[in-house]
Amino acid sequence: MSDLAISAVGAYAPRLRIDADAFAEAWGTFEASGIDHKAVPEADEDALTMAAAAGRRALDAAGLDGDALASLSLATTTPPLAEEELVVRLGSVLDAPGTASHEQFTASTRAGTRALVAALETERAPTLVVAADCPRADPPDEREHAAGAGAAALLLTAEGGATVTARGRYATPRPGERFRAGGDDRVQGLGVTSYDRAAFHDALAGAATDAGVDDPDVSAAAVQAPDGKRPYRATGALGVASETIHASATVQDLGDTGAASVPLSLARALADGHDRVLAAAYGSGAGADVLLLERTGEVATDLALDGAVDLSYPEYLRRRGDLDGEEPEGGGAYVSVPTWRRSLPQRHRLVAGRCPDCDALAFPPEGACTDCGALGDYADVRLPGGGTVEAITRIGRGGSPPEFAAQQVQSGAFGVAIVAFDGPEGGTVSAPAQVTDHDPETDGDLSVGDRVEAVARRIYTQEGVTRYGFKIRPADD
Amino acid sequence: MRDAYVVGAGQSDFGSFPGESYRSLFRTAFEHTLEGTAVEPGDVDEAIVGTLGVGGRQLGLPGPAVTEHVGLHGVPTTRVENACAASGYAVRQGVQAIRSGMADLVLAGGVEVMTDVSAEAVRYWLGVSGETEWERLSGTTFAGVYAQMASAHMREHGTTVDQLSHVAVKNHANGAKNPHAQLGFECSLADASAAPTVADPLTLYHCCPTTDGAATVLLASEDAIDRFTDARVRVAGVGAGSDRVGLFQRDTYSGVPAARRAAGTAYDRAGAGPGDLDFAEVHDCFAIAELMAYEDIGLCERGEAGQYIASGATRPDGETAVNTSGGLKSKGHPIGATGAGQVVEAFDQLTGAAGDRQLDAPEVGLTHNVGGSGGAAVVHLFERDHDWADVSDGEVVA
Repeated sequence: MSDLAISAVGAYAPRLRIDADAFAEAWGTFEASGIDHKAVPEADEDALTMAAAAGRRALDAAGLDGDALASLSLATTTPPLAEEELVVRLGSVLDAPGTASHEQFTASTRAGTRALVAALETERAPTLVVAADCPRADPPDEREHAAGAGAAALLLTAEGGATVTARGRYATPRPGERFRAGGDDRVQGLGVTSYDRAAFHDALAGAATDAGVDDPDVSAAAVQAPDGKRPYRATGALGVASETIHASATVQDLGDTGAASVPLSLARALADGHDRVLAAAYGSGAGADVLLLERTGEVATDLALDGAVDLSYPEYLRRRGDLDGEEPEGGGAYVSVPTWRRSLPQRHRLVAGRCPDCDALAFPPEGACTDCGALGDYADVRLPGGGTVEAITRIGRGGSPPEFAAQQVQSGAFGVAIVAFDGPEGGTVSAPAQVTDHDPETDGDLSVGDRVEAVARRIYTQEGVTRYGFKIRPADD
Repeated sequence: MRDAYVVGAGQSDFGSFPGESYRSLFRTAFEHTLEGTAVEPGDVDEAIVGTLGVGGRQLGLPGPAVTEHVGLHGVPTTRVENACAASGYAVRQGVQAIRSGMADLVLAGGVEVMTDVSAEAVRYWLGVSGETEWERLSGTTFAGVYAQMASAHMREHGTTVDQLSHVAVKNHANGAKNPHAQLGFECSLADASAAPTVADPLTLYHCCPTTDGAATVLLASEDAIDRFTDARVRVAGVGAGSDRVGLFQRDTYSGVPAARRAAGTAYDRAGAGPGDLDFAEVHDCFAIAELMAYEDIGLCERGEAGQYIASGATRPDGETAVNTSGGLKSKGHPIGATGAGQVVEAFDQLTGAAGDRQLDAPEVGLTHNVGGSGGAAVVHLFERDHDWADVSDGEVVA
């Protein structure tokens, strides 16, 4: 068994929520009983941005810089691209070294535990395993009614925390229970109730047997939750009570979080102080992983899973719209991908510069110093991400550059501010940033003088390439 | 250094003209410029044309494309690009050519066609003079950047939305008397303040339109002016300045340092100050821009522009009339033609040719032309050297 232990966990869910009643009102019935609310990604969120938010929280909770990572894994069934390793851009946002192993796991809702098991077997430390997911299906489909969003990050180090003391796996062919065709972004299934339930039960039971934990004696069990009912059908297979599963369940609040389902429940169990936790992940096909975790030391936690804004069903449908909207022909201003790439340290990690002559901060760190005019070589300075609004406006539909037309179709007006970002050792430096996660009607005005914090989000998509960078949101404190 | 004088100045109508091209608009402006002068096309030594190139119609060599079209065959022609200050800079370059001795008669002007591209595509172009990599990709076009400036001005100085609206009310009242104006109608304070928001706090009435149009100016040396006209409108002072293209890198968000620098230089060269002005044409692409201009050219102290306009000081009957033409707000803002268009109004005012907008025997006027949100600015002072008694029916006859 691996010596690595989970020493920190981070979790993130979008602040948007829709509740079961809103679905019932639209459809006459809600097809995902057991779910009270579910999380909905904002128009500028996807698996990568949620992974970045959860990963950042785990690292911050541990007090670890990303550049100390030896390994980074991303698990998701909903990578925004079918080919191209998004874990590399996640690594850029989190500042993981280029020599760290970057692994991506997909195609199964047990990708999160597969990533965890692989990290345990590889024994590189510290390693960060991040699972993030936002599954989709056709609007009437029960899987769409259940489909939620969220991310969890587990930091594995050589000492302390929670260790895996038993693990098992099992595979058994069960085609058709849940699948997504190549080129499609929506899961489907045949809906053969007894067959589906048996697939879930048999795979988990097989993995539990393989792990040798027929009576695990745990106070919390993190069980795969494709809907609000299914996890509770695994009590027999796993030898745990319904209350034990409920103790760390997230599905009722977040919906089906796919590959992040078990990592999220595991994060909640560890954050709530459970000392013995069972993790039981299932992926269609079918396969399962069962792990027994025992706490032997401190686990630092930082979970941000609360909702803040309730959507109506029409608002939900707007958010679900196709993000790759049409852009008009005939562009005047254009930023090429190679040009964008040169700015990634700033976009992803807020790397500013310190003037060698006058010590003032510069952003972006290029050209003559805006303070003293010297044309020197800046020293890299990572901005912590907090800042103060210096000037702000709000752009309604039709008022934005066309790069943001598709986003405005989904989420409407947005703020744009000039922010004085805090320097790491005093001083500030200004940069323009779009405001996200803020609606004046529900959150009140965001004005000059207000505090904000940077978050990684989708900026825009052009030529099929999504550009990620920082936006700002009202500060938590 | 020898002086430069304005021989003539003219413009096309400003507006939306599906039947016109950038060449035909330039021709109309050129023909109006020749009116009342003894200039023949063969007299022109040099031409300078300002244009941004909205729509991309002739991004390379737009200068010769219009000067050859109007018969200035073989004349050295340069295109100047400084966003919305392009033709203000063209005029400045014309003055330089004359003062240096390289030319005795220069055509300086500009042209822009903005209304023949789709509403979607024009949004690509409206932001092209903002800082592209950071400012634009935070989601703003110009309205947004000026709205940010307004937010800072309001926070620092307590400026109000109604004070912004006074700019629209005054400039529309002036533009209603200008036959060349694109939006030649009046509006009320309530209309302006209650109009739909474009970029908070700016409403539709706080924003200028997109416009097709051309404007040209003929400049002559003191040695040559007698050959062409009896009018004596002297270029008394020129100043210009640049700044960081992105607002976020400037020293202030509630003023335009480049314009302040340009005005300071122009006043110095003219040996004059704001108190000498009878009128000014300022760059009111957004209402906040006119208020900042008052402060930058010294009509009032920093932070006081809101109260200053509300006092009526910049109405035609006020202390210093501002934007008697209607300004960019009412007359229109064909980007490349705007700076030269301001000189057209100054020339008309100083030669008694401003029709219903005519001020009473003005002596000194200023034009203030800003590129982008303040990355470039140029200011000219014009002084009437002819006797007002020689002005008759919009012409100067000595």
